[in-house]
Amino acid sequence: MIERKHKYRLIISAVIMVLALIGLSARLVFLHLGPYTERRVQINELRRLERDLNVARGKILDRNGNILALDLVQKEICADPVVVHSNHQAQAVALSLGNILQIDSATIMARLNSPASRFVYLIGYGRYVDDEQASEIIRMKFPGVFLNDVMVRSYPRGASMCHVLGYVNLEREGSAGIEQRWDRYLQGVTGLLISELDGQRRELYDRRTLEIKPRKGADVTLTIDQYVQYIVERALESAVSEHQAAAAWAIVECVRTGEILAMANWPGYDANQFRTTVPDVMRNRCVANLYEPGSTFKIAVVAAALNEQVVTSSQVFDCERGTWFYRGRPLRDYHPYDKLSVADVIKKSSNIGAAKIALLLGDAPFFRYLKAFGIGEMTGIELPGEEAGILHPVSKWQPISATRIAIGHEVAVTALQMLGVICAIANDGMLMKPYIVQRVTGSDGHVLFEQKPVVVSRPIRPETAAEMKRLLTRVTEEDGTGRRARVEGYTVGGKTGTAQKPIPGGYSDVLNMASFTGFIPAEDPQLAIIVVLDEPKNVRTGGAVAAPVFKEIAEQSVRYLDIPPAGNDNFASHASGVGSRGM
Amino acid sequence: MMARWSFHSWKRLDWIMVTIVALLMAIGILFVFSADSRTGNPAVGPLYQKQLVWMAVGLVCFFVMALSDYHQWIRMAWWLYGAALVMLVLVFVPHVGVKIFGATRWIQVAGLWVFQPAELMKLAVVLVLARLFGWPGQSLRHGRIVLLGLALVLAPLVLIVKQPDLGTAIIFLPVLVAVMYAAGVPGRILVPLVTAGGLVVVLVLAVIVIPPKLGWNEARQERLIRMIGLNPYQRDRILVFVDSDRDPLGTGWNKAQSQIAIGSGRFWGKGYMQGTQNILGFLPRTVAPNDFIFSVIAEEKGFMGSMTVLMLFALMIHLGLRVAAVASDKIGRLLCVGIVTILFCHVFVNIAMTIGVLPITGIPLPLISYGGTFMIGTMTALGMMQSVYIWGDWR
Repeated sequence: MIERKHKYRLIISAVIMVLALIGLSARLVFLHLGPYTERRVQINELRRLERDLNVARGKILDRNGNILALDLVQKEICADPVVVHSNHQAQAVALSLGNILQIDSATIMARLNSPASRFVYLIGYGRYVDDEQASEIIRMKFPGVFLNDVMVRSYPRGASMCHVLGYVNLEREGSAGIEQRWDRYLQGVTGLLISELDGQRRELYDRRTLEIKPRKGADVTLTIDQYVQYIVERALESAVSEHQAAAAWAIVECVRTGEILAMANWPGYDANQFRTTVPDVMRNRCVANLYEPGSTFKIAVVAAALNEQVVTSSQVFDCERGTWFYRGRPLRDYHPYDKLSVADVIKKSSNIGAAKIALLLGDAPFFRYLKAFGIGEMTGIELPGEEAGILHPVSKWQPISATRIAIGHEVAVTALQMLGVICAIANDGMLMKPYIVQRVTGSDGHVLFEQKPVVVSRPIRPETAAEMKRLLTRVTEEDGTGRRARVEGYTVGGKTGTAQKPIPGGYSDVLNMASFTGFIPAEDPQLAIIVVLDEPKNVRTGGAVAAPVFKEIAEQSVRYLDIPPAGNDNFASHASGVGSRGM
Repeated sequence: MMARWSFHSWKRLDWIMVTIVALLMAIGILFVFSADSRTGNPAVGPLYQKQLVWMAVGLVCFFVMALSDYHQWIRMAWWLYGAALVMLVLVFVPHVGVKIFGATRWIQVAGLWVFQPAELMKLAVVLVLARLFGWPGQSLRHGRIVLLGLALVLAPLVLIVKQPDLGTAIIFLPVLVAVMYAAGVPGRILVPLVTAGGLVVVLVLAVIVIPPKLGWNEARQERLIRMIGLNPYQRDRILVFVDSDRDPLGTGWNKAQSQIAIGSGRFWGKGYMQGTQNILGFLPRTVAPNDFIFSVIAEEKGFMGSMTVLMLFALMIHLGLRVAAVASDKIGRLLCVGIVTILFCHVFVNIAMTIGVLPITGIPLPLISYGGTFMIGTMTALGMMQSVYIWGDWR
């Protein structure tokens, strides 16, 4: 029989164990039957899945359906520093990723060195790895290192058309160009998914409470022709390097419709790498850069005066042998002339002649015509950042203003506006609204938007337009200022421009803008082209610098677009050929 | 000398105890099935089938032990202890020890069966302590024998901590204390010993808890932790216990999910195989059938389920101590006390960790949790207890 002392000790042991179990049951009572709402909230929070469903942005296409911008799936490397550190793999991760990706492992180490956060981008936000690197990283099986698939905007043609297309920022918002202006269409509709997760953070499909399907962004088709754009960009680049210009820009427009076939700027940038680009380079100078057009603007005053019938093209003006004082202020010609007909004022680009024509026309009618040509007003092209230009109302004109505006000073335009003037002349006096977006097609194939040619105004009569075309064709004759713009086998109409750049206190003697704007073929104009070079060095006149660029663009474009020469030497007597050739 | 084996003695089995064991095993198989129902890994096969095999083996062990005289095992105690110690060392030998989930707790037997020597060691320690302190005429008034007992426990304890399996290792200490207490070791020896042990625990906790509060950096903390022989993950578990909001998605995940499971069971539970915490894998599949089986029961059968399990274990402990009271000799009594203490520690630590009262340690719930060695070990121990009962003093 057991001793009393030992029995006592057994009872004590039993009491201790029973008390411990009672303690456990107290806790069980509390857990099972106690307040529960807080826990329920906790559970629901852990299980709840609420996720935006992102879809591909719409594509941007050229007029022939070539892809200019699209969304690609890319892989970004992420890590959970807590997991990486708790496995003591930080050093190994940094070293092998540095090896695979050929980057400094110290920067990876630095990114991993935030033990409090549960998510870092190992090589930085917005940086991606290619498939080969991705599979190598997956093979490493580092705990806490994983790859995320993300949609990334991609521009297969790199820097080409960058100013027109713009770019998409890291929040996937269009931030420049077409991407910005047409963001609403391109973006699509983000979907929403509300569901529950299981313990492995996987979705439980049968517990899905809401699924709003995302809608893919609409595709935007531009009027741009990828190849014409290429021609223009190449021509600009070689011109810039030849003349060491600070910048250059050019536009090709369909005379009959107002479609923009090409719009290019130098310098450009690769939209895939927009983050490393300075804002000035991103400016689409074709629509956002105001400049004093200089001599090219003379076509406006001559067209107006002919239309008002205050002059005829054969009317002769005294060009004062190169220097004319009007109201005490001198006006000079580049080459002195004695007497010039209106036609020759254009051909030889006489400032004095143009000024006298403007005075004959009168301020109010002159202003009215400029307005009708679209000067001082935005063209409404579907691009962000367009400038309206500067054209003061007549009430603010000085007595000599008309003589200065006539030669393209005291007025500022965009290249697109200037191109509009020559297009109106080439298009029998009808000013077309320039447009760059042809069509927007929803992901379901429905056309959401379509642009048709729109006549903005009719500044001059068809007869005047025909007369102007004839005068402008003479500019490219052997003794005209624009002879370097001639295209073998075609007749080219156009006008040179060499404008001194305004500097504080007057005009610069060294810095100028050289431009040429013209159309081809002159008999039945199809293409209008403007070329502007900012601050060319050495040779500086529009005829020497910009006209050859025009020629290069025009020559290759008419060949590529199969535009036949309407070749007729007797064009002068030939009335304007109305009707457009389908392009 | 008493008969070594008597088949006829089965009539004297404690049938209430056998019923309790059967009930707990039945609950176990049902909920291992529930906890494992969603994995369906064809390569492994359903866990419940394997568990049924273990149960069958366990039952054989139980009856063999119950019907044989426990004294023959007491005579072999030193040999068993030595063998278990050798196996604990073998765990660290490459190609013999098996590493699962970062811990080397298993050794491979004949390339087929992985076996946890720590489970055998539990039995061996109880046997060797019962023999040491229960040997007729053994004087307990000297510190020497207490020190020997302490050494017998500390040797395997250190090896098991190194595996690392802190939970299992810790259980040896209460067993030593309980056996010494029941054996009649005087209070003047026992009290300082327990106090010293308590101080060590407080010190370890202080080393773990205080440096993060002082804002030490990770490397420095880790050096300190390794100095006292712990792994950072063990430190993390204890820290999670101290500060339950720390890292709820990482180390604290199991703890939080287990409490959510139990709480969401309410009074009657969500129904068998209806527990969403379980089915949807919020209780990770790797732990639900073994260490966290109690959460599955509590979620699916609610308060009634968890209290039933708790009551069955309380009854089992009560019956076990009653066997100790009626044991025919001191060795049998101490054997029962040791076995009851092991069972109690498992039940208490396991349930306490699932309800967030103790840090998470990988201690399974006897007879219910999935696991082969543990099932066989538990059944063998219960069988020995029956043997003490059968050969007990019925005067």
